[in-house]
Amino acid sequence: MSKRLPSHLRRIGRVFVDRSMLDSPMARRVRDRLAGTDQADIPWTVVEPDQDRVEFTDGDAQALYLKEYKGKFLRFCPGTRAYHCCGYRIIHIGENCPMACSYCILQAYFQDRVLKIWANQDALFTELGNAFGADRNTRYRVGTGEFTDSLALEHLTGYSRDLIGFLENYDNVVLELKSKVVDLTWMNATTRTDRVLPAWSLNAPFINEHEEFRVSTLRERLEAARTCAQAGFRVCLHFDPIIHYPGWKEGYGEIIDLIFDYVTPDQVAYMSLGSFRCMPQLTPIIERNFPDTTYIYNEFVPGLDGKARLLRPLRVEQFTFMVDRLRKHGMDEQLYFCMESSEVWNQVFGFAPKDIGGLGNRLMDRAFGEK
Amino acid sequence: MLLTSEIFTAPAASIRADGAHLFWSGNPPKSLADSLAEFGQTAPVLVCETEDGPSLVAGHSRLALLAAAGQPVLARLVEAEDDADKGRLYLADNGHRVMDDSMRLAALEYFAPLLDRAELESDILPRLGVRPTSKDAGFLLAWLDLEPEWRALLAAGNVPLAAAGPLARMTAEDRNAARPLFAALSWSRSNGVNVLTWLFETARMSASPVAEVMDRAGMNAALGQGLSPKDAIARLTACARQVRHPELGRLQARYAEAAAEITAGTRWRMAQPDNFETGSSELSVQVKTPEQLSRAARELTELAESPAWGKLWDLGSGNE
Repeated sequence: MSKRLPSHLRRIGRVFVDRSMLDSPMARRVRDRLAGTDQADIPWTVVEPDQDRVEFTDGDAQALYLKEYKGKFLRFCPGTRAYHCCGYRIIHIGENCPMACSYCILQAYFQDRVLKIWANQDALFTELGNAFGADRNTRYRVGTGEFTDSLALEHLTGYSRDLIGFLENYDNVVLELKSKVVDLTWMNATTRTDRVLPAWSLNAPFINEHEEFRVSTLRERLEAARTCAQAGFRVCLHFDPIIHYPGWKEGYGEIIDLIFDYVTPDQVAYMSLGSFRCMPQLTPIIERNFPDTTYIYNEFVPGLDGKARLLRPLRVEQFTFMVDRLRKHGMDEQLYFCMESSEVWNQVFGFAPKDIGGLGNRLMDRAFGEK
Repeated sequence: MLLTSEIFTAPAASIRADGAHLFWSGNPPKSLADSLAEFGQTAPVLVCETEDGPSLVAGHSRLALLAAAGQPVLARLVEAEDDADKGRLYLADNGHRVMDDSMRLAALEYFAPLLDRAELESDILPRLGVRPTSKDAGFLLAWLDLEPEWRALLAAGNVPLAAAGPLARMTAEDRNAARPLFAALSWSRSNGVNVLTWLFETARMSASPVAEVMDRAGMNAALGQGLSPKDAIARLTACARQVRHPELGRLQARYAEAAAEITAGTRWRMAQPDNFETGSSELSVQVKTPEQLSRAARELTELAESPAWGKLWDLGSGNE
């Protein structure tokens, strides 16, 4: 009897592969891992070098595209100057996500059902080696969860496992793996539990149930966090986006309390809080893709960066409630805001990033276990 | 369909003019009456043969005026295969007319049962001067799904074409609740669309019907106050904005109150520049002479001491 892929991968109905990547280790691995599953027979299409782009439309099916990526693999987070960015660096391993969260910006970035994986890993590792090896005293806090979920395709690609293995030799790099699914197959690829930060996004149970689809449950994510913590890793947890909906106090209070049934504050390297914000063009996409979603009709105003943001007093009210609750559980220096202003930092935390030596420096220290 | 070369003269009364394809027929324009009186009929009307005799395909005004004058009609025979062809020919013959949104919608209403949506977009919309990919194309097609009462309001000029956007997202019950707003008032595009959008979004966010939102916003009461049309629209728009953005409205009102207190008796104006993302204020003044500049400088020094500033610094912080 053939095995089934994890539920979030069962919509993959075709594999595209660049001609140059056809015999790459990544292509062979994906082929091997599909074999023996009930998706073993999905068609593979070779993309010739002169083909501009891959187009795929087949109902709600998704395609996996093993691509030879020609761009930069190591990037800066696309933060704006108007708000405080955490300053982490992105290792770009692919684009798009097989899950479906109503609030996800990837819907606007990639308006197709093609899950891209950069299959030319040798080029990626060469670029990373040049960057990270140039000065071993320069520290890097990097992550792969910006343009895709870090672990969503891990079952097929083993990408994070490869990356962790590569970074084993770079003491000056901490890698964060941010996800909404549970895949811990990468865990035994490293001896440096102090240089890998498994991270899960959390949200209020109502939001998890009504706005996040094909993802792991909150308890599954927290169980995975506990497993990692017990193995010696410190974990990261992220409340982003925090959504203002009727009953938000009860919802966010419940999930905050639940966290500490699984991990202790000292096992958390850091935790971000970010209010829902979006480019204006995302709103009609959410309306179209998720017609039952209503939080987009809250009091949003154009922010200093042009993105729609919840009106400041409403954000401050939510942040204050959550930070107070988290502090009661012993959380303190782990907490930070993703893309917020000095005003909001001061109103909620009582200090601004400059007062703690800069947000990037604070998180770098925490990532390396120095605070 | 063929335009034949057969042109003939017939008594006006012998030509039937009751086809649904004459969707823009109405009172003949005076300019046409004057032209017919001066020159006579310069172009034939179009007719097709039916079992009941000739039937008008295009030229309703000419036929009506000539019939009223008791004059015969010069007609050209066409061979129309179906009703869609008759409609296309009618459009071609009336291509010189200045179209408004209600005329375009009337044409689409005629073609809608005859053609599929793709044909309406690719074939008919361009004949109406509308690009199939334009926003107006989407609005016009959305209007086809709205109730006749709403289409009558569009024809009357009370509701803008773009209102189809928010109206199409509402339930029939919600549209019904909103219709009195447009029954006797002619709304601009921005105000009409904004009010409907705010009502729709507030209803969705609060999981309540539009009727309830309107009541909560005081819009039904405003409608019954006998205000002038301009004042009524301003009041209704303000009500809808306030119910959609209650917290922002509260902040703006408090800001305006404090700003008025600070700048009272001066030429200075104050504005909050960033939707309360920060506690910033912008102050501006217009001066044309050195004396005015000196005075503005003195006023600025004085208004900086106003205790009302204390109401502004924390406005929007949640701690005011």
